[in-house]
Amino acid sequence: MQQEYDVVVIGAGFGGPVAAKKCAGAGLKTLLLERSENPGEKVVSGLTIPIYGFLFGPPFIRDGNPPVERPVDGIRNYVIYDVKAGDIEIVEMRIPRPLSPIFAFGYNAYCKPFCTWEAEQAVNAGAELRTCTTVIDFIKEDGYIKGVVTDNGETIRSRIVINSEGSQGILAVKAGVRDKYPPQAISLADTYDYDCPKEVIDRVFGHTLRFCWGFDELKIAPPLGHGNGLMSWPYRNSIHWMQDQCLAMGDGYVPNLRRLFDEYHENITTQLPWWRDEIAPSAKLRARMWEGFEIFVGLDDRLRNMPNYTDGMILVGDTAGLESTGLCDGVPTAWFSADIAADVAIEAIRAMDFSAKFLERYNRRIKAHTIIQWAITNKGRWNLRKAQESHDRKELRARINHQFGPGILTHAGTPLVKSLLHAIRKDPLVIMKWARMFPRYYYNWEHECSSGDRRPIDKQKKRSSGIGWVLFDSLVILFSPVNWAAAWLLEPLAGVVNPLIKVFLPAVELGLGVSIRMEPLFSPVTRWMIDSVKQADPSTFSVSK
Amino acid sequence: MARTSERFPGVEWIGDTGVFIKIDEKKCTGCGNCLKVCLGGCFEIENKLARIRSLDECMECASCWYVCGEEAIDFSWPPGGTGYRSDWG
Ligand SMILES: Cc1cc2nc3c(=O)[nH]c(=O)nc-3n(C[C@H](O)[C@H](O)[C@H](O)COP(=O)(O)OP(=O)(O)OC[C@H]3O[C@@H](n4cnc5c(N)ncnc54)[C@H](O)[C@@H]3O)c2cc1C
Repeated sequence: MQQEYDVVVIGAGFGGPVAAKKCAGAGLKTLLLERSENPGEKVVSGLTIPIYGFLFGPPFIRDGNPPVERPVDGIRNYVIYDVKAGDIEIVEMRIPRPLSPIFAFGYNAYCKPFCTWEAEQAVNAGAELRTCTTVIDFIKEDGYIKGVVTDNGETIRSRIVINSEGSQGILAVKAGVRDKYPPQAISLADTYDYDCPKEVIDRVFGHTLRFCWGFDELKIAPPLGHGNGLMSWPYRNSIHWMQDQCLAMGDGYVPNLRRLFDEYHENITTQLPWWRDEIAPSAKLRARMWEGFEIFVGLDDRLRNMPNYTDGMILVGDTAGLESTGLCDGVPTAWFSADIAADVAIEAIRAMDFSAKFLERYNRRIKAHTIIQWAITNKGRWNLRKAQESHDRKELRARINHQFGPGILTHAGTPLVKSLLHAIRKDPLVIMKWARMFPRYYYNWEHECSSGDRRPIDKQKKRSSGIGWVLFDSLVILFSPVNWAAAWLLEPLAGVVNPLIKVFLPAVELGLGVSIRMEPLFSPVTRWMIDSVKQADPSTFSVSK
Repeated sequence: MARTSERFPGVEWIGDTGVFIKIDEKKCTGCGNCLKVCLGGCFEIENKLARIRSLDECMECASCWYVCGEEAIDFSWPPGGTGYRSDWG
């Protein structure tokens, strides 16, 4: 039986539902196809979704109520020179109290509930979701992709296909749009999930991720620059633990990851003092799984510039090679690209032009997207291998600081400030939405921790009447012409932010260090902020649609 | 219907996946790269060539496909609704 849609979206992972929701919301007949039974249950991830994904990504996520496992305030890096002798240095980059944990650096989440929530939003907007369906091929006519063929033998016609099938891009390779990635560009992530009481996680991690790095011969983490070392994420009452390494080294040698991963895992969990003494006694292994991701695709000119569209099809997220080479996050770029893809699909349907020539505008917008381009061209992690080559402690520390410590501001400053100004220029009232997002996410998280219930806010669409918010909103509205003008004037100048931070980095580091040390002084304020959010009427954080 | 594994807790394998990874014997050189990167132990070497031992603990990561320089591995997804799943990814 043949079926017809305006848009078929392949994959209900992180990106697909965003595209499906926007297309359906624009009145297009949209079908979202997913091979697993429930969205997200075949997706393996970290997972901290960095804050820029929420601030500058799809409005329904920013203004919504997705299931998060813990707000995160930053990263604490353990730079390990000699684990047995306890020769370990700490490099920390986090938002200090009392701003955090309400003003977060990102949010941790499990893939299944998050992707399911996203897919529900797409369905609520009118998209049709079909799970347990693997797309095995495309319908091709006159060189155009005109729909998909599924493993049930169905042929589904569509005007345009948005392909969000994930990092392997099997269909994109099969269709001849992209090449299979070389194993040097792919990192295999060996992931463990530990059950651990919330009190222990609160005490040991708080809201901070813990990453570990060491010279290769220590075998406490995957080789520097060929993966991510070791990363651990505090969730609500579990810890996610991930080590990953490229499938092949620079010279093409394929290491025996099966053996090495077991060895690294054993070494670090038995030798690293805080894990061994504070976590291991109360943590119980709940799951182990693995997945690959295209860690270094963005750093290779040929791979980065492979087509992300063809006649009748647009590729988004991991399928378009948009995994960040710096922080190893791919969710924000999947969201941004899915959002852009939906815009282009809507425009193509209006113009009734699905040619590659028309869809080229998608590529142009991806290339012009400040955060996507920063994320996929950042060499900080790749360059860690230079610290291994020199075997110099100072260099290792400096490179970790540059990529995962306060030094990140010397390259993330401009893209972040530029995106912030751009968003304000487009809509000065977005500030009201940002201001509500943080307490809403925090409230939801606290609520779910204490009651175990799913978040109640979605049901409460009432507009806030809280006097503080009325005042705040009035100021934002009053100053919106000024904010718009300031953003318009300053956006072209955002390029100076990185060099400025570079000059003042020692001062920034000092300021950050001092404010972290002074946190105990602020505990009453922190407590007050948290209590005010916890006890607030949740409808005060909702955004009217 | 769902299978679990003692080695890999927290993961289930649903239904009958069929053989969704195939090795072309004519192209395989027996280099063993697929064995080295497969954490699920799906491959073995027999008569100096790789062959599928079992896909029972395959997590569909496609690492075998990436590291096969000879293009001897044909990787496709298992039928919809079958294969690996987890609540903890
Ligand atoms: C171990 C690990 C840790 C990570 N950590 C982080 C992190 O901390 N922060 C972060 O932001 N990102 C992280 N990432 C990256 C992030 O998970 C991805 O970038 C993101 O999932 C990409 O979204 P996507 O929509 O492109 O693809 P996916 O989310 O992978 O979705 C693809 C979907 O398509 C489905 N599918 C595939 N083929 C077919 C087909 N033929 N027919 C039907 N359905 C199909 C899949 O089942 C899947 O649901 C991590 C990735 C891994 C592997």
